[in-house]
Amino acid sequence: MGMRDQARSAAAEEGSQIDLTPMLDVVFIMLIFFIVTSSFVKEPGVELFKPQASTQEACERGTIIFAVDANGDIFYNKNKLPLDRALRTAEAAKKEAPQANIVVQVDRETPAYVVEDLIDIVRPILTAPPCISTDEEA
Amino acid sequence: MRKIAKQQDQDGAEIDLTPMLDVVFIMLIFFIVVASFIKEAGVEVNRPDDNQPDDPEDSTSILVEVASDNQIWMENRRVDIRAVRANIQRLLAEDPEAPVTIKVEKGAEAGIVVDVADAARESGVAAVNWASDR
Repeated sequence: MGMRDQARSAAAEEGSQIDLTPMLDVVFIMLIFFIVTSSFVKEPGVELFKPQASTQEACERGTIIFAVDANGDIFYNKNKLPLDRALRTAEAAKKEAPQANIVVQVDRETPAYVVEDLIDIVRPILTAPPCISTDEEA
Repeated sequence: MRKIAKQQDQDGAEIDLTPMLDVVFIMLIFFIVVASFIKEAGVEVNRPDDNQPDDPEDSTSILVEVASDNQIWMENRRVDIRAVRANIQRLLAEDPEAPVTIKVEKGAEAGIVVDVADAARESGVAAVNWASDR
C-alpha cells in the first residue's frame, strides 16, 4: 500500500515536470508565422454573380479588392465608395501592403464603363495588370 | 549565502510555463482563424493608358468590339460569343504575336467583356488589352 502510493506520487511529480520549453518554441514560431502571413484582406462584402472564365488563374497577391455591383456602385471594405475616393482608398491600402495588387470583383451585369473608370482612377498605383475576379466555369 | 543563491537558481528553473502557453495558444488560434486565406481567382486584363499615341485600330492587334447592346463585333461582322474564340484563333494564325484589344462601348456589361477576354486567353494570345471607346 505504502509503496504504491509512493510510486504514484512519484509518477505524478514527474508528469508535472514535463519541460514545456521546446513546445513553447514551436508554438511561438507558429504564432509568428501566422502573424506575419495574415494579411488582413478587406473584403468588399457584396454578393455578386461573377462572370465565369475557364482560363482564370490566381490573382497574384491580389489583396486590394474592389467590387462593382450590377448598379455600378463601387464597394471597398463593406462600404459603398464614390469613384473619386477610390484612388485615396487604394493608395492607403497600397501603403499598408506595397506588394499588393488590385482585384476588381464584377457582376455579370455591371456596366463595363464603371470598371473602366475605376481602373483608370487607380492607375497611378497599379504595379501589375488589374485582376478581374471570376468564378470557375461549371 | 551560496546555498540561498543555489536555491533561487532552482526556483528560476521551475517557472510554470503553462499559463503563458495558454495565452500563446489562444493568440495562435486567433491568428489562424483571422488569417483569411482569400485567394481571388480571375483574369488579368491590361488597361493601356488612354493617351497612348498608338490607336488600337492602327496597330496589328486583333480588335474585338463590344457594342452598347452587348453584341460582339469583329472585322465589321457580328460574332456570337461562342465564335469569338475560333475567330481569334484564325486571326492569330496569321500573326501569332498579336495582342487582343477589346473595345468596349458605354452601356456594355462587364460579363461580356470578361467572356471575350476569357475566349481570347483560351485561344492563347499573349496579352489582352481593354481599350476604351472614348
